[in-house]
Amino acid sequence: MFEADILQTFYFTLFQAALSTFLSLLLGIVIAWSLVHQRNFWASRVSRVVLSVSIVLPVIIVAFGLIGIYGRNGWLNQAAEYLFGFSFGAFLYGLFGILLAHVYLNASYAAVTLTGAFEMIPLEQYKLSKSLGFGPWKRFWYVEYPAVKSTLYRSASTIFLLCFTSFGVVLLLGGQPRYNTLQVAIYEALRIDFDIPKTLHLALLQLTVSSLLVVAASLVTGKTGNLKQASVPIPWRESGGSAFFQKNMIFLFLIFFLLPLIEIAYEALGHDLFSVMNEPLFQKALLTSLLIATISSILSIAVSLGIASLQLKFLNRQTRVAKVLYSATAVLSNIYLAVPSLVMGFGFFLYIQAYDLDMDRWGFIAVVLSNILLSLPFATSSISPKMEQVSNRYRKLTASLGMGAAKRFFIVYLPYLLPSIGFVWALSFCFSLGDLGIIALFGSDELVTLPWYLYELMGSYRTHQAASVALILLVLVIAIFIVIPKMVGKLHAENR
Amino acid sequence: MKKIISLILFSTLLFSSEKPLLTVYTYDSFTAEWGAGPKVKEAFEKAYHCRVKFVSTSSAIGTLRKIQIEGRRSKADILLGLDSATIPLAKTTGLFARHELDTSGLQLPVAFEDDTFIPYDYNFFAFVYDSRKLSNVPHSLEALAAMPEEFKIIIEDPRTSTIGFGLLLWVKLHYGDQAADFWHRLSPHILTVTKGWSEAYSLFLKGEADMVLSYTTSPAYHETQEHTTYIKAAHFSGGHYGQIEVAAILKRSKHKVLARKFLQWMQGREFASIIPLTNWSYPVVPVTLPKAYEHLIHPKMLMMQQEKIQEGRKRYIQEWLRAIKR
Repeated sequence: MFEADILQTFYFTLFQAALSTFLSLLLGIVIAWSLVHQRNFWASRVSRVVLSVSIVLPVIIVAFGLIGIYGRNGWLNQAAEYLFGFSFGAFLYGLFGILLAHVYLNASYAAVTLTGAFEMIPLEQYKLSKSLGFGPWKRFWYVEYPAVKSTLYRSASTIFLLCFTSFGVVLLLGGQPRYNTLQVAIYEALRIDFDIPKTLHLALLQLTVSSLLVVAASLVTGKTGNLKQASVPIPWRESGGSAFFQKNMIFLFLIFFLLPLIEIAYEALGHDLFSVMNEPLFQKALLTSLLIATISSILSIAVSLGIASLQLKFLNRQTRVAKVLYSATAVLSNIYLAVPSLVMGFGFFLYIQAYDLDMDRWGFIAVVLSNILLSLPFATSSISPKMEQVSNRYRKLTASLGMGAAKRFFIVYLPYLLPSIGFVWALSFCFSLGDLGIIALFGSDELVTLPWYLYELMGSYRTHQAASVALILLVLVIAIFIVIPKMVGKLHAENR
Repeated sequence: MKKIISLILFSTLLFSSEKPLLTVYTYDSFTAEWGAGPKVKEAFEKAYHCRVKFVSTSSAIGTLRKIQIEGRRSKADILLGLDSATIPLAKTTGLFARHELDTSGLQLPVAFEDDTFIPYDYNFFAFVYDSRKLSNVPHSLEALAAMPEEFKIIIEDPRTSTIGFGLLLWVKLHYGDQAADFWHRLSPHILTVTKGWSEAYSLFLKGEADMVLSYTTSPAYHETQEHTTYIKAAHFSGGHYGQIEVAAILKRSKHKVLARKFLQWMQGREFASIIPLTNWSYPVVPVTLPKAYEHLIHPKMLMMQQEKIQEGRKRYIQEWLRAIKR
């Protein structure tokens, strides 16, 4: 049914996803473990703040930064050239680059979630392991690993799905068709070869496999009941050997994580940062990106509130139908993993062609919709548990007071949900700002977003302008993700 | 006051409706500041009381794909920048209208006749180098593949670029069944494969590679504009593959009459005199060439038959992809 090269692409997609997942988790767990045991190390404190941003770091920025460090003319090669008079060459492009970027993005994600899991281990268990004279290895194996196992599996399935449907990283760092994932192959079949039958084949294969994976993942993982408790620091010092190892790991990882971002800033600030701001296309891209991010982040909140209240409704009715509907809503919020960006984009493309619609307008709608779906899994998993909590506490009270739905929402729910809403808003705004997915199919001089503009600059090797755009995007994302939730949190605190 | 404003608005409306808009899709080096686009726009707008808008992408075949993706809503009136070798590919899309013009008066180095595509310039592909940095210059495809390991070249992607596809045909003509083997031997020297000529050439000028796939006329640009003579095109024995660049009208164009006038104008002396110093190619109408053109190499022009290209295109590209993958 499929041509040989489609199958080859499929196998490579699976292979790189599996390898990326394994490496990301391995590094992620080592970092999380080190962070938990070296709480007071200065680099740990820095890492905790820095890593929390990793979830919203745009893929294209990561790729750009990695090229700046490990590329043919990157810092690594420049240093090697200077010190030893030789260069490692263009080793980045291909499998290595793909793995490096995936590990960069996902090991950080894994480290953040796993740190949370480690911190939920009761102090008593550590006490016990100490009194039994466990070394670090035995302690990990008998105390820590069983406690973080479920989080580890959950992260594994999320990371695998993300890498399986990876687009931007592979587009930028794959280098050649041999290292294509299905998503990139779809992009090339449509935008380079305009081979509709082949695109359809690829899209169907991607759709089938990722749907199966999403269903399988939902069977394995179950519910995310990760309600964070106040964690107690472990009062003992680590033994010299493991403390040395842990500190080094944290320090090296921090450097690995920060270097590409520093490189972007250096490259951008070393030249005329503001010249790019006068480019009409840049201004258009910035405005379009901000508009898309505003619309899609607000709609994300609305949709996730809707899904969360539906889930609440089904949860409170103990019938079998309600249980099925409850799972259905959970699948709904994960739909973007089953129908990844390029498949959905191709669907939109066919729809636009069939009904002879305006490409730029519908491209815009497609980008907004995909950005809502992109942040939905994170949005619902943040809002839903909160809503459940509030409901458990106040359901009977509001019923006895005979409050209407609107009144109940604004008076009872909203004040409690506000911090989560702020978080969801910032998260989806940043996701949207950095998204290089569907826009790759619809991007043009008429419809241009910041990541697409950056991709075009990189494609024509206008590195200095690209660095300026990357820095602007990076600053925007960090500002919004760190500053806005703090503001909302403050507002919330004052209102109480 | 209101009256004045509405009068102004009305007159601008009249003004704009008076001048029809011709939308020309092309590759980016044509529309660059130093390219032919700005001068062509100015001259044609003046002569025909219209507005010309260029929409560019990084490569000519990329432009064709853009029109295909845009479908029925595409605003393109003219596609400018495909070449003799990509005409068969363009014709299979069924997007282009016959030009109904007489092209028999044009001067081309090889016989060329097409009812849809109008030739507007021609050139020879060549590997270009910096003579200050490269001393052992290869003088054949074979010598190129036999260069030392650290020797790097930049080529364009045959799936998107006419020049990349031209090299594919050049190699095929020279090596026939052994083409895959040649690509396999050449692949260690390929630093990168770019989408279009502009990216490749700017990377080369940054000093990233020893040679770049460009044109025999490239040195004329550096001699005329920068008064430097160290950028040279290597003269390959056995001839160089030739390119005749062409333009055509889209069937869905709403300004066909104007578009036809544009194609007609492209065959005139005014357009021909713009080409050598902006698009750095040979015009199809005899005009006095700039002095720098006297110093260029004049190789034998190689070209593959249209039928053979049409029949072989997909296979050649597959072969190339597999050979450089290994």
